[in-house]
Amino acid sequence: MALPLYYNWRNLFVRKLSTMLTFAVVAVIVLVLAVLLSFAAGIRASLASSGSRSNIMVLKPGATAESTSIILPDEISKLVQAPHVARGGDGRPLVSEELCVQTSIPRSTDGTLANVAVRGVAPVAFDVHREVRLIEGRRFDDGALEVIVGKAARDRYANLQIGGEVPLGKLSNRTYRVVGVFEAGGGALESEIWAGLTSIRDSFDRRFSSSAVLALDDAVRADETIAAINGPSIQLEARRESDYYIELSRKTREIVLLTSILIGIMSIGAVFAVANTMYASVDGRRREIAMLRTIGFSRGAILTAFLIESMLICVVACAAGIGGSLLLSGSRQDFLSDTTWTVLAYELRITGDIVVSALGLAVVVGAVGALAPALRASRIRVIEALRKA
Amino acid sequence: MSAAEIECIDVRKVYRKDRIAIPVLDGLNLRIAAGEFVTLMGPSGSGKSTLLHLIGGLDSPTGGSVRVGDAQLERMSERELTAWRSRHVGFIFQMYHLVPVLTAAQNVELPLLLFKMSAAERRERVATALKIVGLSDRTDHRPNQLSGGQEQRVAIARALVTDPDVILADEPTGDLDARTSEEILTLLNLLNTEFGKTILMVTHDPKAAAHGQRTIHLEKGVLERDEVMPRKTVAAASA
Repeated sequence: MALPLYYNWRNLFVRKLSTMLTFAVVAVIVLVLAVLLSFAAGIRASLASSGSRSNIMVLKPGATAESTSIILPDEISKLVQAPHVARGGDGRPLVSEELCVQTSIPRSTDGTLANVAVRGVAPVAFDVHREVRLIEGRRFDDGALEVIVGKAARDRYANLQIGGEVPLGKLSNRTYRVVGVFEAGGGALESEIWAGLTSIRDSFDRRFSSSAVLALDDAVRADETIAAINGPSIQLEARRESDYYIELSRKTREIVLLTSILIGIMSIGAVFAVANTMYASVDGRRREIAMLRTIGFSRGAILTAFLIESMLICVVACAAGIGGSLLLSGSRQDFLSDTTWTVLAYELRITGDIVVSALGLAVVVGAVGALAPALRASRIRVIEALRKA
Repeated sequence: MSAAEIECIDVRKVYRKDRIAIPVLDGLNLRIAAGEFVTLMGPSGSGKSTLLHLIGGLDSPTGGSVRVGDAQLERMSERELTAWRSRHVGFIFQMYHLVPVLTAAQNVELPLLLFKMSAAERRERVATALKIVGLSDRTDHRPNQLSGGQEQRVAIARALVTDPDVILADEPTGDLDARTSEEILTLLNLLNTEFGKTILMVTHDPKAAAHGQRTIHLEKGVLERDEVMPRKTVAAASA
């Protein structure tokens, strides 16, 4: 028979300082873990929903991202020869020639500048990127100083509402007007500003493109298209568009790994904090434990009581940590990719999985930290402990 | 209401410290009838507390046998002894050993948590035990809100709430003033006379010993003297 829960709960307040310190340590770890996991999940969700498996992204060989890729006009013209390229209603191949540049735009929250991707596209881009859908306003007119902005970009950066003005160009001396807002299935494109290809080329004084995206008529045969583009006749580098974005999330995985190691180290510290608190508790309650053993509580009941006490601290601390992280949940953050050097807006969201992971960590810290003190408590020599000091 | 006979035959207890054998009880023979109130006296180190621990199943003899009621304690495992103690023995300590974070009622309830019993039945038994010790109006007080005498009364209520066969008290008045000690001893007398409990009480105080029917004097681990006491009635004790 276990001791009642109120016995464990009230004992936590006997040594308030050490209990509070342990509580704080575990709560901070849970908070960091929850934010890290929601960061990783947010980035993953954004990048995972980016790009289509039936599209092919073409870059210059050796380029890791569009920002470092230069494709010349004659190379673009060769792409239409690749097999399985889909054709639009007018019979033209669905090959979207795109120029990706960056511009600095203040964040709407604190006014600090962020590198936002600006994509110059031809009208065919809307047939290739089928997930892109206008939700407000209209498309830009090619050749006019007009842009449409992704939903995430509009929410995160200043002056990107319809009617807002954005200075773009090599010298930021061309003022573009926002005429529409689009969504792209929650993917990375929603962090971008789109304008006409010719306008962007002209404003940024670029005569080349950075990428081309091809829509396939048969996604299953993508490998043949990729082989043809990578082959000697075209000599560009192709991959599925979805794979390109997954590759971009590699940096996130590194950050998650490094932070996970940090959390691991912090957790070891928390285990010691829990152990310290529980050892103090056991040593301060030797006679009480002996009395409980005397009146018939088993070693197992004593062991369980101390494990429960530790768990209580950790689970309540976990709830506090999750509570803290919930304050950030739903907020839009941005992440600067060191591959594209543009920011990706993503949403922090505390999911059920994250809560379960945080709770799991708290329970493990509580159990591991309390095990040795609880064993000591259960093995107290009753007669010695009952004797007067 | 229940009581048990206690019988110790040729009980020996030897402690070992750094390979040195320290004999504490040396062939002790003792019989306490069911419902007797016996006090145990002797100088420090004479083996009083050790004998109490052996009879309470907190320790095992090195040799000989200890029987309490039908239970032959030296043959029982630690697990069996733990379960047996919860049902058959009530302990009262000099330092009360109440749980400071629990109220008087919750302290008294603790031993009942080891029984399959409804919460209502537990509440009823706790209320009865606290009424017997005269603390019905202190049920929600914590130990730090009670006097030493009241704490010991709560400890007595905790010892009797399971209706044990035997009550073992280790210097229950050792930390109390004379007047409070007398109240506690009167209460123990009441448990013996009214509820028929077998009581074995360790004490250094001859006045306390006078509340028992017999006083057993131990000296160097052997029974030196077994003395029948003129019984002090509850009324006389209260006077």
